[in-house]
Amino acid sequence: MNLPRMNFFGQLGAGTLAAIERLGRMALFLLEVLGHAGAMVKRFSLVIQQLYSVGVFTLPIVLVSGLFVGMVLGLQLYNTLVKFGAAESLGLVLALSLLRELGPVVTALLFAGRAGSALTAEIGLMKATEQLAGMEMMAVNPVMRVIAPRFLAGVIAMPLLAALFSAIGIYGGQMIGVGLLGVDSGAFWSQMQNGVDFHEDIMNGVIKSFVFGVVVTWIAVFEGYDAVPNSEGVSRATNHTVVYSSLAVLGLDFVMTSLMLGEV
Amino acid sequence: MSSPANDSNLVEIRDVTFRYGARTIVDNLSLDIPRGKVTAIMGGSGCGKTSLLNLIGGRLRPESGQVLVDGLNVPNLNKKDLYALRLRMGMLFQNGALLTDLSVFENVAFPIREHTTLPEPLLRNVVLMKLNTVGLRGARDLMPWELSGGMARRVALARTIVLEPMMILYDEPFTGLDPISMGVIAKLIRDLNQTLGITSIVVSHDVAETALISDYAYLLGGGKILGQGTPQDLQKSTSPHVRQFMDGLPDGPVPYTYPAKNYLDDLLDEGRA
Repeated sequence: MNLPRMNFFGQLGAGTLAAIERLGRMALFLLEVLGHAGAMVKRFSLVIQQLYSVGVFTLPIVLVSGLFVGMVLGLQLYNTLVKFGAAESLGLVLALSLLRELGPVVTALLFAGRAGSALTAEIGLMKATEQLAGMEMMAVNPVMRVIAPRFLAGVIAMPLLAALFSAIGIYGGQMIGVGLLGVDSGAFWSQMQNGVDFHEDIMNGVIKSFVFGVVVTWIAVFEGYDAVPNSEGVSRATNHTVVYSSLAVLGLDFVMTSLMLGEV
Repeated sequence: MSSPANDSNLVEIRDVTFRYGARTIVDNLSLDIPRGKVTAIMGGSGCGKTSLLNLIGGRLRPESGQVLVDGLNVPNLNKKDLYALRLRMGMLFQNGALLTDLSVFENVAFPIREHTTLPEPLLRNVVLMKLNTVGLRGARDLMPWELSGGMARRVALARTIVLEPMMILYDEPFTGLDPISMGVIAKLIRDLNQTLGITSIVVSHDVAETALISDYAYLLGGGKILGQGTPQDLQKSTSPHVRQFMDGLPDGPVPYTYPAKNYLDDLLDEGRA
């Protein structure tokens, strides 16, 4: 392997092959994790522990962000809507933006930064300090004992966090719109109630956040498990988790939105 | 798969070659680990000692050759059989590899909780007995980060023996310890070997401590056996490889300098590379 002297095409080929090989390993890893997911039903306490560290610790940042995003949306949307005499629709537009887009996407990005990076660093350090190897030698499969509960916790936590983000966002928008800018409270809520469809809007948002939960947690646990077991390797893996999962969330959001709206 | 292994040997390594990329780590190696004894595997850093432990534990697969543990050829075992075999062997890692989110008690209880359904009062007694064996019954509520290096290794040792294995693999058990902790670990290795009849394989480059506790020793270098015998035999050996290692000589068959081209050429070569 003499990488610096390889010609451009050689490097391109080697890089592409390495990337495809890694994707393949990632897919096999997911299959293995899913294979152990069944065992987690019997040992759900392991998942609950992880739900606490993945979900509850992410809650403050999600709630605070949700409140501010909702407040900003309230200001911005009101400013535009009032020009068309449609300020009463504020509740509807606010709820749709949050439920369909901002709730799932912003929560996933925050989750990647807060919980995803922590998962990667934790698993990477467990690998670097031979804790995973130690488990293997104790005849305990680390994918079952360490990875599967964390993965399930991430997948379960994401839709719940997104729902809370949207809820508190709507509350923030209502504070600004109704409380500060004087939109009629009845119109605010009744337009929202009439205009938001359970299947089209709420469920599509839930599906999105479920998919984001799978992808972000998958990337996070894989990066940790696959990290080079030293400090540089773990820091690189943590970095990868945040970058890759943010890109994956934004890319997948476009794909899913087009499929759900049927426009493209 | 299983071969009629010599009953007096628990582990038999036969013509094993292991490569990491292009580097040959273990080179057509054959050696025996007798049952119920403490066998030392000594050698400099990077001589393939730890790889050998990982080959025995099934964490690495050899390119060729057989690794027989209690008559089972480890590289051919499927995951289920390998895990069943691992239940009968323990490994003490260099830094202990304690689970950092669990207390000392829970670390020692970990293998029991994972593999058995022992009732809690019984489990508590077993864990306390094992902790008492390593003298740390009083440290049960501490967390791993509150332990010194020697204590962490003793807790890890208690965890290793908690399922009463037939064999323990020790990976550099003396590295980075003060003389007292070193003596404690050495005594524990010897005592466990005698009282529980455990076969012990100690990988170490700590000549003095290892020689004190081992019944037989292999000296590895470049993935091959450079010398073997009782520690006393090795002390008396006149082989230059053995002498360099036992006496800690900086230069000898293992050269001081990493292979490089001619020094003068190298210095004059600047700018042309």
